Amino acid sequence: MDIITILFYLVTSVIILSAISLIIVNNTVHAALLLVLIFFNSAILWLMLKAEFLSIVLVLVYVGAVLVLFLFVVMLLDIPVRKNSNQKLYLLFSVVTSLVMFAELYMVIFYHNFTNEVNIITSSELNNTYQIGLMLFTDYIFSFEVTAFILLVAIIAAIAINMTEKQRSLRQDPGKQILESKKSRLRIIKGNKL
Amino acid sequence: MITMSHYLTFSALLFCISIAGIFINRKNILLLLMSIELMLLSVNTNFIVFSHYSNDITGQVFVFFILAVAAAESAIGLAIIVSLFRKRNSIEINLINKLKG
Repeated sequence: MDIITILFYLVTSVIILSAISLIIVNNTVHAALLLVLIFFNSAILWLMLKAEFLSIVLVLVYVGAVLVLFLFVVMLLDIPVRKNSNQKLYLLFSVVTSLVMFAELYMVIFYHNFTNEVNIITSSELNNTYQIGLMLFTDYIFSFEVTAFILLVAIIAAIAINMTEKQRSLRQDPGKQILESKKSRLRIIKGNKL
Repeated sequence: MITMSHYLTFSALLFCISIAGIFINRKNILLLLMSIELMLLSVNTNFIVFSHYSNDITGQVFVFFILAVAAAESAIGLAIIVSLFRKRNSIEINLINKLKG
């Protein structure tokens, strides 16, 4: 049993146990922290598969940005921790569904026998980041531009959804106009009171 | 010796766990988003495994694109959740019926 095998079983068992506790935990902050653990261990797993660039990107972008955003939203909203009622039926249903799906996927993996299909040629003269950059800026340059545009759209959408209207704005609010009644606008004054 | 089947089995197991997570946490929209992130992670692991064992870098380029799109998706999803919470003071899924769908 070499070091790679031990490392594989250690990392995958940590990921699986954290995933199981993530889906049954009630506290959302704990779930976000478990997700951090899962992403770190997945980065180790990707490093074992010689995908150095993506493993660093996973730590930087996901743990550094997306999960911090998750934690920020969880702590900003202050959601009360609450027990779900009527949980037994859904628990049974979810376990049955996921077991059936896993059995099907495992049958595909087992009977196709992926074990010795391709021989690995790891000795490449270029490193991983160089190879990805070469592909990204030659063959996939159009997809790269589209990805940049998607990120721009995400920035604009996230700002536009949460932008509150200013008080000084001259924009008319149709709802407020409809709810306006005659009594609040019109006052009848008798002549002798003037 | 760790073979390709080990990695693929692990990935399938992670995907099925997150499917169960979507069923169990159907009330909490934040945990639903986290389960979707887990699914994307298992799919990305599948891509990287196939890329490693077929000695082809294209799978890793795809994972790069998936990571970018998933980051955009979760940013917009969290923005929608914050806006919803400000309007209605709760993010329960069965209370989101404003559109009467």
